[in-house]
Amino acid sequence: MSNTHELARLRREKRLMWLQLMPVMIVLVVLFGGALVLGVAQSLGFAPWFGVNTFPDFTYFGALWGGASFWTSLWLTLYYAIVSTVLSLIFGILLALALVRKFPSKTLYKYLYKLPLMIPYTVGIALAVIMLGNGGMLSRLMAFVGLIDDPSQFPQILKTHMGWGIIAVYVWKQTPFVALTIYAVLLGVGRETEEAAAILGANRRQIFFQVTLPQILPGVISSTLIIFAFNIGAFEAPFILGGGFPDTLPVVAWRYFNDADYTLQLQGMATVVSIALIAGGILYSYLAIYRRYERRIGRQ
Amino acid sequence: MKKLSYTVALIGGLMSSTAMAQDLEAFRDAVTSGNATWEDIEARAKEEGVVNLYYWGGSDQINIWMDRFATPGLAESGVTLNPVRITGTKDAVDLVLAELGAGKGLGEGSVDAIWVNGENFATLKRQNALFGAFADKLPNSANIEWNAEDPRALLNLRDFGIETNASEMPWSGEQYVCAVNTARVAEDDIPNTFAELKDYLTANPGKFSYVKPPHYIGNTFVQAAVYAHNPDGNGAVPFQSSVDELGAAELARLITPGLEYLKELDGLVLGGASGNARYPEDPSAQDGLFLNGEIDFSCGFGLYRVAVGLRDGTYPEGAAQFVFPEGNMIKNKNYLVIPANAPNPAAALVMTNYMASVAAQASKLEIAGMPPGIDPWLLADDEVAALTEASPGFVGITQAELDANTAPDTNATLVDVIEATWLEYIERDSSDPIEVIVERAVANLK
Repeated sequence: MSNTHELARLRREKRLMWLQLMPVMIVLVVLFGGALVLGVAQSLGFAPWFGVNTFPDFTYFGALWGGASFWTSLWLTLYYAIVSTVLSLIFGILLALALVRKFPSKTLYKYLYKLPLMIPYTVGIALAVIMLGNGGMLSRLMAFVGLIDDPSQFPQILKTHMGWGIIAVYVWKQTPFVALTIYAVLLGVGRETEEAAAILGANRRQIFFQVTLPQILPGVISSTLIIFAFNIGAFEAPFILGGGFPDTLPVVAWRYFNDADYTLQLQGMATVVSIALIAGGILYSYLAIYRRYERRIGRQ
Repeated sequence: MKKLSYTVALIGGLMSSTAMAQDLEAFRDAVTSGNATWEDIEARAKEEGVVNLYYWGGSDQINIWMDRFATPGLAESGVTLNPVRITGTKDAVDLVLAELGAGKGLGEGSVDAIWVNGENFATLKRQNALFGAFADKLPNSANIEWNAEDPRALLNLRDFGIETNASEMPWSGEQYVCAVNTARVAEDDIPNTFAELKDYLTANPGKFSYVKPPHYIGNTFVQAAVYAHNPDGNGAVPFQSSVDELGAAELARLITPGLEYLKELDGLVLGGASGNARYPEDPSAQDGLFLNGEIDFSCGFGLYRVAVGLRDGTYPEGAAQFVFPEGNMIKNKNYLVIPANAPNPAAALVMTNYMASVAAQASKLEIAGMPPGIDPWLLADDEVAALTEASPGFVGITQAELDANTAPDTNATLVDVIEATWLEYIERDSSDPIEVIVERAVANLK
């Protein structure tokens, strides 16, 4: 008797769980999954609406991966993504560590550092153009005080393949994000373990690498995952602030999509699928390594 | 019982929508065969009520004209203009093709008209996405030369060498012209030919750049360079034929000297000295470089750009226009096209008719600085006077100079190949010879 009762309750709970998952599942499966399937199909030559249907056809990937410019673009994409992720991570950790200490006007500073989080990327890019461009505030100011004859002589920061502008915008926007995540973890952990280590005679270096870092690692991992995934697929910053050809992969894809020749859209779709494959592969191995590390130190 | 009534309602609904589609198709056939009366079209347009015009919204002056002049002007015919501003014309073309692909036919799409020319029109035509021959059958079609025996009608009959078959209404006529700030460049140094431009850049490295192909304004610069370096010396003449008529080998022979020249220029343009030549993405980026003094010349379509810029204070006082390149200043028209799946075709017809009126063309010329697309020799004297009155005028250049240096556009099928060759040879720095690149580009386009 009580057994059937129990079963009914379990079934009801299960149904409720599915009901709660429904909205997210619909969005994921229909919108995201549907677009993914269509994207992969298109990159393999399925586009009857342009009068192209050679499915399955791997020539689009072949042509893309066979060209030297694809590998240069991939290298540039990874370079911007990795450098800005690493810099944001370092600055973010330093900021979070500073924030848990007590210092004057801390309340004000706690609001101030979050400011870039609320400003959209596009505005950040516009700020970079206005401040750092060759016709920007800094160059005009320097020309005005006579350091250079003409604003155009200002050293070029934006629109180079070194990508200083792109990296600056990403770091400016993502440092507070990393700091916010890690600060939350630090608050949850408390400072007792660090103090205990200090009493036991550990120096500051040892405390950071052997006590604090393992504790904040989950925050570090989740925030780097998010910002790296964004950086590798982002389009606006490299498009507006990048150095032109060779472009990053998202910009290459956009150029294919924007060409008046419709057959190039399939090539563009192959580029998009390549970005997804590469980003997915990197993120998956990153997570796998981390899981292995967690198991090694005995976390489940 | 309930099920039955649902089924009946469903069938009824389907039948009425098929009936509507048939009705619209009958209307279209009547218009394109010239059998629809203007009263019928106007009455139907009033019923439809709205027209969605998609156009490049990057110019404040054009946007202001649309909102303050075109919208009230069209409201007099009982049609509300819905101006949809887009960043690239291709977005609207994409939308039309996507909707057609999804099975949305006449009366079911979302785009009533698009401001287009060149490759975008060629795409719509190739994909069978045009409403049909309407442009010579409206009251204001009388303002446009359709007589094929008159050589001046060519710009109305062919859009980048592609026959328009009256499926788009000429809206504005433009010519490629360059601007200079005379406060920065001495009169004698202003180049008029490609050779002089190269000399100027040798003396002043980095002080010029042109819009990057595949943007059509960049393509136009490349075409002009190709015309000027045509090895046969007959300029634009061979570039009026299609790629099939010309053949890849002949095309490669004709464009090689022009591209060699542009390759040499690559090391002299903005940033070229450091090996990373910078070509602006679009005309507004190019204007930004020009106004900052990073480059000395800004070239593009816009006969009245400098006059309007001086009037509105966006151009510096010393700005002037000049003849460049001598004999090869490409002239073309741009048009309003109605796509095959326009939701309000009658309202779109009333709108294009309004746009071809002398009143609309004159206020557009005055406010937006867009040259008229109607042909002055067909107009009455007072109408010509109204257009002359409205003209913002040229700065440092005369109509006679513009007329003396006119060149026609390149056939749209060749534009794709020339553009692909530029991207490969100049931007990607390919080491392949031009013949190989051209052959590959021609093969890719088939």
